[in-house]
Amino acid sequence: MSAAVERAPVSAAVAGTGSKPTQKPPQLMWMAAPSLIFVALMVAVPLGYAIWFSLSDFRMGNAVTKFIGLSNYTRMVADPLFWNGLKITVLLYVLAIVLQLVLGLYLGLLMNRVTVLKQLVRTILISPFLMPPVVIGMMWIVILDPSLGAANYLLELMHLPPSDWLASTQLVLPVVALIDTWQWTPFVALLVLGGLQTLPTNVYEAAQIDGVSRGKIFLHITLPLLGPTLVTAAILRSVDLLRFFDLIYITTQGGPGNASRTLNIYSYQRGIEFLDMGYASAMMLTLTTIILGFVFVLTNLKKAVSW
Amino acid sequence: MAAKTWRKKTWRNLHAGVGLAALASLSGIALAQAQEAFNWKQFDGQTITFLSSNHPWPTALNEFLPEFTAKTGIKLKFDTYNEEQMRQRLTTVLQTRSSDVDLFMTLPTREGQQYRASGWYADLKPMLDDKKLTAPDYNYGDFSPVLVKLSTMDAQTVGIPLNIEGPVVYYRKDLFEACNVPFPATLEDLPATAEKLKACKPGITPFVSRGLKGAAYSTLNPVFFNSGGSYEDPAKGFLCNDNGIKALDLYTSMLIKYGPPGVSNYTFYQITELIGQGRAFMALESSNEFGKLTSFEGRQKDIDVKLVPPGRDTGITKPSVISWHIAIPASSQKKGPAWYFIQWATSAEMEARLALKGVAPPRKSIGEDPKFKAWLSEYPNRTNWMGAILQLGSIGSSFVTPKTTRTPEAVDILGESISRVLTKDADVKTAACEADTKLKALNQ
Repeated sequence: MSAAVERAPVSAAVAGTGSKPTQKPPQLMWMAAPSLIFVALMVAVPLGYAIWFSLSDFRMGNAVTKFIGLSNYTRMVADPLFWNGLKITVLLYVLAIVLQLVLGLYLGLLMNRVTVLKQLVRTILISPFLMPPVVIGMMWIVILDPSLGAANYLLELMHLPPSDWLASTQLVLPVVALIDTWQWTPFVALLVLGGLQTLPTNVYEAAQIDGVSRGKIFLHITLPLLGPTLVTAAILRSVDLLRFFDLIYITTQGGPGNASRTLNIYSYQRGIEFLDMGYASAMMLTLTTIILGFVFVLTNLKKAVSW
Repeated sequence: MAAKTWRKKTWRNLHAGVGLAALASLSGIALAQAQEAFNWKQFDGQTITFLSSNHPWPTALNEFLPEFTAKTGIKLKFDTYNEEQMRQRLTTVLQTRSSDVDLFMTLPTREGQQYRASGWYADLKPMLDDKKLTAPDYNYGDFSPVLVKLSTMDAQTVGIPLNIEGPVVYYRKDLFEACNVPFPATLEDLPATAEKLKACKPGITPFVSRGLKGAAYSTLNPVFFNSGGSYEDPAKGFLCNDNGIKALDLYTSMLIKYGPPGVSNYTFYQITELIGQGRAFMALESSNEFGKLTSFEGRQKDIDVKLVPPGRDTGITKPSVISWHIAIPASSQKKGPAWYFIQWATSAEMEARLALKGVAPPRKSIGEDPKFKAWLSEYPNRTNWMGAILQLGSIGSSFVTPKTTRTPEAVDILGESISRVLTKDADVKTAACEADTKLKALNQ
C-alpha cells in the first residue's frame, strides 16, 4: 500500500507534462492475495491442528478423540522426562551455540585473510554442512565406536586411555555438541566472512593512523561492527539447535539411558512410537513457544547492536 | 496254503497300491489342472505399493521381483525404510486410512494388538478361503503353528509369516577349543566361562549383547525365561521378583564385566561387526544375523550357534520367538493384487529359494527341500543354526512383553531397566521394580 502511495507523486511528476494530472495508479496489492492466503493457510492449518491435538486425548488408532482442556499441559508439568528433555535441550543448545559462534568467528577471520586458492578453501570448508545428517551420523558412529572406531585407535597410538564417547552418559552431550559444531561452524564462518566484507574501511584506516593495536582493533571495532552478523548467525543456529533431532536420533536415539533425550526426541517418541499424539503436540507447542521466545530476545538484541 | 495266502495278500496289496497310485496321480492331475485353471493374471496391469523395512527378507526377495510381474502382470512399488522410519510412515498412512500402501511388514508381537484394536489390518482369511483368489497349492497349513497363532487375532488372520527369528548364542567354536573352554552348560555358568575366556585371550571380548534401550529387551528375554521369568501374570510380577531380578542381574553384569566398552549403545549392528571381525568370543543376538555373520571373511565355518543355555535351578530352555509378517492395510483399495503378491512371496517355492540366502523359513516343508538340505549340510554350523530355528518354533515363547495394546511403551520400559543398570543410574532391584510399576500402569 505504502509503495503505491509513495509512487503516486512520481507518477504525477512523470505525467506532469499536462495530459491527465489527477489519474490514480492502479491498485495491484490484490494480486499478492493468493500467495498470502496460501502461506497463511500453510501456517495456520497445521498450527491450529496441533493446538487442537494438544487439547485432546488424541491417540492414533483410537476411534474417539475427546477434548480434555489443559490436561496434557498439566501432565507435562508433572512429567520428569519432560523436564529432563528440556534440561538436555538447553544444555546442548548453550554448549553448541557458544562453540559455533566462537569458532565460526575465528574461522571467518581466517578465511578473510586467505588469498591463495580462496574458492577452493571456501568450498572445502563449507562441505560439512552440505552433507545429509544421516551420513554425518553414520560416519561419526563408526569413528566413535569404542571398540571398533578410529577415535579410540588414535588415542591408543598416543598412549591415551580409550573413551566411551557417545556411550558415556557424561560425554554424550559434549560429543554431540562437537559433532554439530564440526558440521555448522563453517556456516557461521561464511556469515562472518560476508559480514567482514561489508565493514566500512575508513574506520580501520583511522584506527591504523592512530596506531591502535590489532587486538584493540578486533575488540573495539571488528567485534562491535560484526554484532548484527553474529546475532543473525545466533538466531539461525538457535532455531536449529533448539529443535535438534536428526543427529541425536541417528547416533544415540536419546541414550545412553536418557542422557541425550532432548525434548524433540522425547516428543517424537511419545507421538510417533507410542502414538500418543495429544501429549506429544502439547510438548511440541511448548517447545515452539520456547523457540519463538529465544528468537524474540535475539531479534531485539540484534536491533540493540545494529549500527 | 501259506503260499496261496501270501499270493492273495500280495495281489490285494498290489490292487491297493495301484489304487493309491491311481488316486495320487488323479489328485496330482486334479491339482495340476486346478493350478492351470487358477488365474494368476486376474489383476494384470495393476500397481501395488509395498512398505517394507530393510530386513534380510525383503533384501533377499528383491532380485526375484521381476518374476512376480512376469507371472501376474502386477507391478510392485517397493518402498524400503529403516524399521523405525517404516513405522513412522505406516502409522500416518494407517491412521488417515490412506490407500497409498497396499502391503506392509509388521511384527505382531510388537504392534499386533495395537493395530488390531485400531482396525488397521485387513482380515486375510476370506481371501485364504476363496478358491478364486488363492492358488490350490498355497497350503497355508504348512506354516509353523506357533507363527500362525501369532497372527490369528479374534479368529481373523492379520498377516502371513515371512520368517522365524529369536535370540541365539553365536560363539567362536575354534577359539573355545583353542582355550579348552566348553560352551556353558547352564546360564549360571556364563560368568565363569567368560572369565576363563578373558584369561585365555585378553584382547577378545568374552561376551556381547544388546545394551541399547530400544533393542535390548529382546536379548534379555531368553535369559529371563530360562531363569523362570514370565510376563503372563501381573500379580506375580514381571521383573520385580526373584527370577526377574536374577535374570536382569545376570544379563547386565555379563555386559558390564565381560562386554565391550560402550555396550549401552550396542544393537545388532555393532554386535555383528564385533564378532564378525573376530573380536568377540560369544554374542547373544538374533538368529537373523547368521547369514551376515558367516559372510565375514574367515567366519564361514568357525562361528557356531546354540540356544541360550537353560537355568541351572529351573532347567528351563525357553527361547523367545518373533516373526515378521506381511499384511494388507484395511484401507487398501487393491487387496486382491496385494494378496496375489503375498501368495507368490510366501509360497513354498519362494521360501525355499529365500532360505538358501539365510532367511529362516516359516514353512515346515522347507526343512525337507533337497536344495535347502544340501545347503545346510555344506557346513555344520548351518545345520546347528537350523536346529536352533526349529527349536525356536517348537519350544519358543512369543509372549515377549506383558500383554498390552501399548507394546512399544512396554518395550521402552523393559529396555530402560537394562539401560539404567548399565549406566549405573539404578541398582538391579530398583530398576526391575520401577519397571514393573510402569508396566502394570500401562493397562490401567
